[in-house]
Amino acid sequence: MSTLTRRGLLRSAAAGPLILPSWAVPPSDRIALGGVGLGPRGANVLKSFFAQPEVRFLAIADLRNERRELIKSMADKHHDTHDTKMYRDMFDLLARDDIDAVLIATGDRWHTTASILAAQAGKDIYCEKPCSMTIAESRALAQGVARYKRVYQAGTQRRNVTNFQLAVGLVHSGKLGKVQTLHANTLNPKTSHEWLPEEPEPNPEVCDWNRWLGPCPWRPYNSKYVAGRWRGHFDFHGGGILEWGSHTVDVCQWANQSDATTPVEFEPQGNHVHARWANGVKLVMRDTGWLGMGTCSVRFEGDNGWVETGDTGKISLSDNLQSEYREIKEAGTDPTKHVRDFLDCVKSRKQPKSNALAAAQGHIACHAAYISWQLGRKLAFDPARDLFINDDEANRMRSRAIREPWRV
Amino acid sequence: MQAPAPSSSTSGVNVAAIFAMNEAALIAVLQDAAAPLYAKAKACQRLALVGGRDAVPALAKLLADPKLNTYARYGLEPIRDEAVDVALRNALAALSGNPRQGVMNSIGRRRDAKAVKAVAKLLGDRDVETARTAAATLAKIGNPEAAKELEKAFPRATGPLHDTVAQSGIICIENLKAAGHAREAAALAAALRKGPLPKPVQIALG
Repeated sequence: MSTLTRRGLLRSAAAGPLILPSWAVPPSDRIALGGVGLGPRGANVLKSFFAQPEVRFLAIADLRNERRELIKSMADKHHDTHDTKMYRDMFDLLARDDIDAVLIATGDRWHTTASILAAQAGKDIYCEKPCSMTIAESRALAQGVARYKRVYQAGTQRRNVTNFQLAVGLVHSGKLGKVQTLHANTLNPKTSHEWLPEEPEPNPEVCDWNRWLGPCPWRPYNSKYVAGRWRGHFDFHGGGILEWGSHTVDVCQWANQSDATTPVEFEPQGNHVHARWANGVKLVMRDTGWLGMGTCSVRFEGDNGWVETGDTGKISLSDNLQSEYREIKEAGTDPTKHVRDFLDCVKSRKQPKSNALAAAQGHIACHAAYISWQLGRKLAFDPARDLFINDDEANRMRSRAIREPWRV
Repeated sequence: MQAPAPSSSTSGVNVAAIFAMNEAALIAVLQDAAAPLYAKAKACQRLALVGGRDAVPALAKLLADPKLNTYARYGLEPIRDEAVDVALRNALAALSGNPRQGVMNSIGRRRDAKAVKAVAKLLGDRDVETARTAAATLAKIGNPEAAKELEKAFPRATGPLHDTVAQSGIICIENLKAAGHAREAAALAAALRKGPLPKPVQIALG
């Protein structure tokens, strides 16, 4: 180890990719990270942060003691220390001046509120998707991050996965010709209004149910919610269009160079929703009819050919575009390059690929599609005002009351 | 609206039936002392879509209920009728603690200019969370009168309230600018610059 100097490592790095050991990163280049609500997905993303040499994970805040303990043990093992702090209350973590950035991977209901609180506390933010529960929350998120000039990366990592980049590149380079239709793989939109049977509330030290509910309306405790069965419940979840659309509609928004806007028209067709941007390009959100490229597939069609790809890394191309084919073995679920993009931006103060504005617009498109599906009718939408045109009922669905004392 | 799945039944309540009710039937659920809490919660959520002036009294009655108050506000917030603002202002005077904070959330969402004075009084509340919510509510209302109240409160506020008033000042400045009140926005910014300010607010203020 004594012959491995930092300068030597940097010289070697110029010749090719190299991962520096953490001891080789000077303190001024280190990024102190905290975690908020890290379950299985959060722990997986945290491993990608651990793979970056400048990251030092200092603290975890979680309302569940078993998760606090688990993340602490992961971090302590990784850093060879016993110093990782545990907090039940995220405010205690956010109050620490020595933490630069936070990884937020709570349930969806907390994502916007926690992200805005983190921005107010001066932290940069990597937040798992879906990032918002409503159109109003999406806008508040973008405004809150911009207000405090924070770096924000939504956990929509496909913007940093090679096969998705290749497909989008075919649109942007004009190789598909005039683009006609972009397809986004979504799930069945439906949610449930059911409450699970009431169970005795646990000791708040074990699991703080009041805090778990957070901004959502009260309902009786049931352990299944906490164990992950909150998905699919309307009060906790934005539905199946948002669940995958936060990834795939996001990629289509990027392909259509619509990161500052959304489609202007949404029309349900069964469990699918057909939308259209102001430039005339169609967006089809659908859960069937894919070629088997894996979960979260996208398909782009132009008058000179088509491309379809998904989470397996496989790419399918129209015959005339076979020369564009590349063998890619990269999982669409792997956040490593997305995390790297975030950390680079924390240093450069540029905005990452899945920045708050891009994420907000993609999410608004998904929320609008879900509202159209719930109402069962075609809706016209004004992206400049986040407003459905001449449809009071749809406009009433743009926000939900937030349970006190929380606010965004 | 798409009917919820037929299996959606809690405490013997058929939620699909509730979601098929008209406004009058939903109001009747809220007024029925024997109706299960779940039925009332879902009736409030449905009234968010189909409720009007007639639903306001029944919804407002639930603002004091610790389990149903968020549902009541869920129903009230989207109703475009001044009766909602009157009901929320009345509740502000009648309630305390968390339910009153919730009411302020809704007043902020609706940007009720007539509530400025009543909300501003709560900036001096002994409960710091109430005072912080009042500051955030004034920021959302974001008119020149609300800005004046934040400007007055800023030099007097201490601890967590001081930081919240500063953060609220930034949001109020954004709302003032968006409404064309550049002079008032500049005045509030100048007041904030006298500090001290938390670093994130300094960055936001530029």
